[in-house]
Formats: sequence, structure tokens, C-alpha cells
Amino acid sequence: MSEKDQYKNRIELLQGTLDMLILQTLQWGSQHGYGIVQALRLRSGDVLQVETGSLYPALHRLERQGWVQSEWNQSESNQKARYYRITAKGKKQLASDLGRWERIVEAIGSVMYVKAEESES
Amino acid sequence: MKWFPSFGFQRRKRDLQEEIDAHMQMAIADRVARGETAETARRAAAREFGNIPLVQDVTRDIWGQAWLEQLGRDVRYALRQLRKSPGFSITATSMLAVAICANSTVFSWIDGTMLRPIPGARNTGDLVSLQRGERNFSPTPPFSYLDYRDLREQNHTFTGILAYHNDWIALTGGAQPVRVYIANVSANYFDVLGIKPTLGRFFLPEEETRPNAVPSVVLGYSLWKTRYAEDPAIVGKSIKIARHPVTVIGVAPEGFVGAAPGLRDDLWVTLDPLGTDVWRMTHRDSDWLILIGRLRPGVSLGTAAQDLDTLMHHIVAAFPDDHLGENRITLDRMWRSPFGVNGYMTATLPILLAFAAVVLLLTSANVATLTLVRFVSRRRELAIRQSLGANRMQLVRQMMLEGAVLSIVAGAVALLLTSWTSKTFAWFFPANSIPLVLNGNMDYKVVIGIAVFSLLAGMLCGALPAWRSSHAPAAEVLKAESASVSGGSRNRRLLSGLVVAQIALSLPLLLCSGLLLRTLKNLAAADPGFEQDHVLTASVGLNIAGYSNEEAQLIRRKILDRVSGLPGVEVASLTDWIPMTLIQKRNDAYPEGYVPHPHESLLVQNAEVGPRYFESLHIPILEGREFTPDDDEKAPRVLIVDETAARRYWPGQDPLGKRLRIGGSLFTVVGVTRNSTHTFVNESPEPMVYMSYFQRPGYETMVQVKTEGNPVDLAPALENAIHEIDTRLPVFDVRPMRESTQMASTFAVIESTLAGMFALIGLVLAITGIYGVVAYRTQMRTHEIGIRMALGASRVDVLRLVLVQGLWLTGIGLAVGLAFALGLTRFIARLLYGIGANDPVTVASVVLLLGATSLLACYFPAHWAMRRNPVTAIREL
Repeated sequence: MSEKDQYKNRIELLQGTLDMLILQTLQWGSQHGYGIVQALRLRSGDVLQVETGSLYPALHRLERQGWVQSEWNQSESNQKARYYRITAKGKKQLASDLGRWERIVEAIGSVMYVKAEESES
Repeated sequence: MKWFPSFGFQRRKRDLQEEIDAHMQMAIADRVARGETAETARRAAAREFGNIPLVQDVTRDIWGQAWLEQLGRDVRYALRQLRKSPGFSITATSMLAVAICANSTVFSWIDGTMLRPIPGARNTGDLVSLQRGERNFSPTPPFSYLDYRDLREQNHTFTGILAYHNDWIALTGGAQPVRVYIANVSANYFDVLGIKPTLGRFFLPEEETRPNAVPSVVLGYSLWKTRYAEDPAIVGKSIKIARHPVTVIGVAPEGFVGAAPGLRDDLWVTLDPLGTDVWRMTHRDSDWLILIGRLRPGVSLGTAAQDLDTLMHHIVAAFPDDHLGENRITLDRMWRSPFGVNGYMTATLPILLAFAAVVLLLTSANVATLTLVRFVSRRRELAIRQSLGANRMQLVRQMMLEGAVLSIVAGAVALLLTSWTSKTFAWFFPANSIPLVLNGNMDYKVVIGIAVFSLLAGMLCGALPAWRSSHAPAAEVLKAESASVSGGSRNRRLLSGLVVAQIALSLPLLLCSGLLLRTLKNLAAADPGFEQDHVLTASVGLNIAGYSNEEAQLIRRKILDRVSGLPGVEVASLTDWIPMTLIQKRNDAYPEGYVPHPHESLLVQNAEVGPRYFESLHIPILEGREFTPDDDEKAPRVLIVDETAARRYWPGQDPLGKRLRIGGSLFTVVGVTRNSTHTFVNESPEPMVYMSYFQRPGYETMVQVKTEGNPVDLAPALENAIHEIDTRLPVFDVRPMRESTQMASTFAVIESTLAGMFALIGLVLAITGIYGVVAYRTQMRTHEIGIRMALGASRVDVLRLVLVQGLWLTGIGLAVGLAFALGLTRFIARLLYGIGANDPVTVASVVLLLGATSLLACYFPAHWAMRRNPVTAIREL
């Protein structure tokens, strides 16, 4: 039960947004799984905590779809790790994901906005 | 153990492992860099990462091959589970194997007979069998040659209609004549069936009616193989049949044995190869051909029947005198063609398959009970797996897989068993003179059948318990585990239901087998109206040995004289027919002055019999006289009728002196005999007329001897006596009457044997089922029983507690089963003899048997519970 409380303040990732977040993270250069987790946490101000049980399946799925490529490399700390790199196809996908995401945000925002207005009046 | 060594799969698995290791290493390194100790860093990283195997699992899911690996894992797991309880696995597998084998065996018989009516023929689904007139169980050939020609040439609904006539003849030219079964066939015979010759050619259209100086024959494959050693140059060679030289023009392909379902032809000749049968080629009242047509594509059975019926109507109108009686044409698909053996098969085999299906259902219920009991005791394992993250679907899949593994193994065993049991069908048929080629057949249809049966069984015995068990919430099970007293109360109702179902299903099986066994007993005890015990018969191949008619009659008289003089022979006679051998001869008979009812068939059964025939069989002559040696060609034509014929044609009158027209001649009735059985003990009597052998020689020459002692002892002397007259005379089928007449009860034997076996399986299953459940439940209640006893319950109370439970189940099962059984027996009413379908004695004894044995099965666990020491019982958890 205590585990659940720990995650209370974290936002559950919307379905499909994880792919977009990973691709976005890889925009700045190739990265390994651990690096991606850290990057997401850092940039979201500790709000987004990606479960490894979601991350690795997502990475392998993206690779299967040809949106990322992976190769084994040495990290800065001399640790052998698997690095993921975004492909041209992945970049296209990211653009379309981003477009869709913006539309969703806008749509949800307008719903919430109208609702708020109505309740005020 | 590598079950699915997939490409690079192991490498990718290692890769993933390393990737995750790297992740952990980096996480630890970061934390250490932040100042944590190595140990806390490691633990925190591990906690943060989560369940490593689960992550690997879901990641591998993405790869796509995952289902294969998962299946492999599940199969391995299932096998491990089954290996852990070998008692259960072996019991369940062998029970399922027996049940599947019961089904596939009967199905293989259906496949070998009804579903393969004409082996080797193309598209037997388009072939239909033609019948004219009354539809009876085993009709005689219904068409004359000229009528056949008209139907063949004027119809609009068939691509072709063939005609054949079964016969037998001696293959001479070797040291000893050999009996071969032949068919006289129309020229288009092979063409309509879609058969291509292995060697040479088949008949040409112009050969159909033109008797050749040297007739042509087509050899059957097995005759060519056995007698002519597969001589590749056989075509064009001359062989001898009935001492006539004939030319081999072709060899039929392997597997093809003729157009009559279940009967074998060894060779084929044209309709009138020697020109000796002009009468039957030119007269419309001579019915001797069996017709099979191939429907034009898209033509329905009804349309075709109408087409032929109209044609037949015109023929009857043009030749009314040759077509008295019933002339309507009916068509049948080959699987239920009345000609050949399929008529008998359709009456027997589907019912047996239904019995077998009940056995399979019963077995599945039994295995489901076992599985359920097992799963209940595996609740802990399931709950642990569930709390480790397995979802319900995975658990259900896992359990169904265990059921599937069981049934697949059972199916494989059944496949092996069936490859042998399918061949046992022929065992049921006693020695006889019919060229039966009945046997089960193991082809892809049977294999598919087995697969379907096992799948069905697997689903039934795996899915039900799986679905049931998976409903139990994990936490509750884990908690409740140790405190459980009544044991899986959720499953209790399902278990009870399964036990009730088993008893309810086995009752109809037992009842049917009881009725069929009593039928068999009644059949054996029935008086056929003639002597069976001290009679020996032997067939002499006179007609096929090439003698002239006069010579043959002389030889017959000589045989009679000599055989009569043998020591141990009381009476010797001749006949061309033996009753109750499934062979029937029929003829149209026109009684003088008798006006038939509309659509009344004028067919009568007939036999040519010699002097003292009725004496030799102890059939009483009620009026008039027997035949004498003086009733020969020169004497006025006479016949003897049985009571049925006398009552039908001359009710209330004296039949003696009345006249009947048969085959163009007038016969005067000189005697009336008591009715006797013709084909089956339970037949409805058909009129029978006997004609004098020496006046009108029969086709077959059978010597019939009434012996003083055991007829078998006389067989060598009889054969010798015949060979002393002519050593080249072939003598066949020397056997006691009792043996020949067994043929009539063959199907009753098949039905009662299988029903009995199935019922026995059913009984054992039902008993073990109820025993298992009551014993299991009693064991689960050990604790409770201990408490009850500690609080003062007597041993009798405990006995009652357990027994009442079993009694309830038995009672409900019997009630449901009885309703079920009484509704079902009418389907087998047709097969019964001398007993009602709901015979109270049989019903009562079956209910009693089942009730008593299940009570006994409940008694043992009750007894065991009663004997427990309450102190140890309470301690036992």
C-alpha cells in the first residue's frame, strides 16, 4: 500500500504520450534507457517518473517500428550501455505526435475553459 | 530443455538482460556519486527499477515471438505440473484416450462404409442409387435392361446412369476352380464412376449388347495381383471362366472393388457376355439390374427423382403387363443406398456413435471433476501466481493448456489405438458366402475427427474448472487457505453438478445396453420356425463349372443319392437359398384372380428347393404335400406357399389348386407350409413361395443335410461324396446351419457388444466420479467431523452425514438420468426385439444397479470418516 502513496503526486502518463516523450528526449542526441528516465524526470521537475516496465517495452516497440535505432556503446562513466538514436522516420513521427498532442491540449483546454466560465456565471 | 529454439531469441534475451544490468549499474553509480553507500544505493536502485523479470516479460512481449516463447513456457509448466501428479495425469489421459478411441472407432467404421460407399470412384456425392417400387430394407435388383436403356437415354438430369448385376462364377484353368465374385456391367459403368484403368481399357459402348465369340473381362486389381502375379502383359491374354475362354482387356485400379457398397467384385464382364441370357436382355418383366446415376451439376435429388418418375410412368403406360404393382422411383445418396450393406450400416452405426459421444461427455465430466479437485488443492499456487502479477487470463490459459496437453496426449494414444480397433469391425461378421469388404478406415477424416474429439474433451475438462478457479480472489484464498473447513465452497456446487451429470449420463447408456442385451438374448432364444442344430449345408459350383442343364440335373440327383446314403445323414435335400443369411431372392408373382391394392407390391420371396426340403428343416406342411423327385421339367408346374402368402392372396379359401404366374409360367399350389424366418427374427413376414428344384433349377446348388450328430463331423464325408462324382466340382461354404444363421443377428451383436462396453465404461466412470467427490469432500471436512465427534456426534451420525450427501447426488442424478433415458430409448426402439423400449424390469434393474453401486462408492469414504480418531481429525488441517 505504501508504494501507492509514493506515486500519488505523480501524473499518470496519457496513453501514447510516452512514445512522444522518448522521441523528444532523443532529439538532443542518442541516449540509453537510464539516461532517458533521468532526462524526463529532470525536465519535468520530478513530476514525470517513467516506469521501467513501460520504458523498455516502449523502446523496443519504437525500434521495431523503425523510429529509433540502437547500438551498444561506452558511456561517459565507461559503462557499456545500449544507446538509442532517433531515425528520420522517427522524427516525422515525432512531428505528427506533437501536432496531435497540441490539438488534444487545445481541445481539452477549451472544454475546461468553457466549463469554468459556465460555473462562474 | 529447449522447446522452441527460435532464431536469435536467446541472444536477444541476453541482450535485454545486459541492457537492464547497465541501467542498474548507472543508477547505482549515480547514487554512490551522490554520497549513498554502495549497499543502500544498490537496494534503492533495485526498488526504483521494480520487478526485473516482469519488465523483461513485458518487453519480450513486444518482440512478437513472445507468444511462442510464452506458449513454450506454459507448455513446460503444464508438463511439469502433470508430471508432479502422475496418478492424475495417467488416469485422466487413459480415460480420455478410451473415450476418444470409442468415438473414433465407430467413426472409422462409418468412414469406411457409409462415407466411402464406392472406394476409388470420383465424387461419390453426385452418385445416387435408383430404386423402383416398394422401399424395403434390402431390395432385390429393381430394373430390367430395356427399362434401364430408356431411363438412361431419355433422362435430363443425369450425366450418366450405370447398371450392374452381382454374381459369382468359377475361375477355371488352374488346378482347382476358384470362386470369384463378378459383376455384369453396362458399358458406361467405369465411365460413370470415374475410374481409369491401371492397364488396358474398359468396355466400349458397342460391346454392351453384342455377345462376343470371345468375351472380354476386366480384372480387379487384387485378382490380378494374387492370381496373375501382376503380369504387366496380361492385357490381351486369354483366361478361362466357367470353362469359357475370355480375353482380359484391362485391369481396374487398386482399391476399386465395384459399385455395390461393402461388397467386392473380383472381375467385370458385360451384361450378356456369352449370349446365353437373351431372355433377360429382351424382356421388361425380368428385373435384374441395380442402377446408379451421376447427377448433372446443380440438379437436386427431388428434380432428378421427378424426371425419372415421369419417364417410368411413360414406360409403365406403354408396357403395363410387365410392370404390375408399385413402380414409383426413389433416389438415395450412396451413403444410404439400400443396395449393398449401407442400409444396414445406417441403421446401426449412427446410434453407436451417439452412444460413444455420451461416453466422451461422461469422461470429460469425470476428468473435469478430477481437474477441479486438483485445482482446488492448487489454490495456493494459483493465488501466489496471481499475486506475483499473473492476470486471470494467463491463469485460465495455463489451466486450459493443462487440459489441452492431457487431451492431445489422449488423442495421440487414441490415434494409435484406433489404427488397430478400426480393423476389428470385420470380426463381427461370421463366416458367410457374401463378399463383404467391411472395415473401418483410417484416413484424414478420422484423424480430423480425433482432433475434434480431443479438442472438445480438452475444452470441456480444462476450461470449466479453469474459469471457476480463476474467480477466487488471490488474497482471500491465501488468507482462507489454512482456515478452510469445507474446502472450496465455490466449487462445491460445480463438483456436485458434475457428479450428477455423470450419473445422469451413464443411466441412459446402461438402459440402452440392457435393452440391447436382452434383445440379443431374445433373438437367440427365438424360434425361427426351422431346425438349425443338426443341419449342414454345402454349396456346389455346378452352374459355374460349365455343364449343360441336363448334365447338371443328373449330377444333382447323383449327389442327392450318394449323400443320402452317407452314415449319419437322416435326410438330404437341395436348395438354392439358406434362410437368415441376409441373402434374399424375390420375384414378381401374379396370383390368378387376385386384384392387388393400389401401390401393392407383388414381389414375393422365393426359393427353389428339392424333395424332402421341409422335412430336413422340420418345417411342417400344413396342407397338401412336399415336393417329390417327380416334380420335374416334364411334370405340371407346382409350388408350395407359406401361410402369409396363402392368407394374403386367398383369404378364407383353400389355397390348394390355386394358381400363380411367375416369370411367364403358371404354377399350381400343391402345399402350404408354416411360416418360418426368412432374414431377421424380427422381420414383418413377407409372402414366400417355394418351387421345385428339379422343375426349375435354382442358380445355386446347395446340398442340405439333416444329420444325426454334430453336423461339423459330417463335413469331410459330404465333401468327399461330392468329389467322388466329379473331382473338379468346386465345393464352398460347408458349414452348419447354426453358423450361417448367425449372420441375421450380426447387427444385434454389434449393437449390444458396443453398447455394453460403453455402458460398462459409463458405470465405472460414474462410480469413480461419485467416489472421488465424496471422498474428497469428506477429507476436506475431516476437521469439522472431528469437532462434531468431539462434541458428541456418534459414528452413525458421521456415517449418515457423509452418506446423505452421496445419496442426494445419486438421487438427483438418477432422477435426471431416468428422464433423459426414457426420452432417448425410443430412438433405439427399432433395434429391439421382444422387449419394450421402456421395459419396466430393465429400467428398474438398471436404476437399482447404478443406485446400489454409487451408494457403495459413498460408503467407503463414510466408513473411513467414521473410523477417524476425533483428536487427530481436529489436529489435521
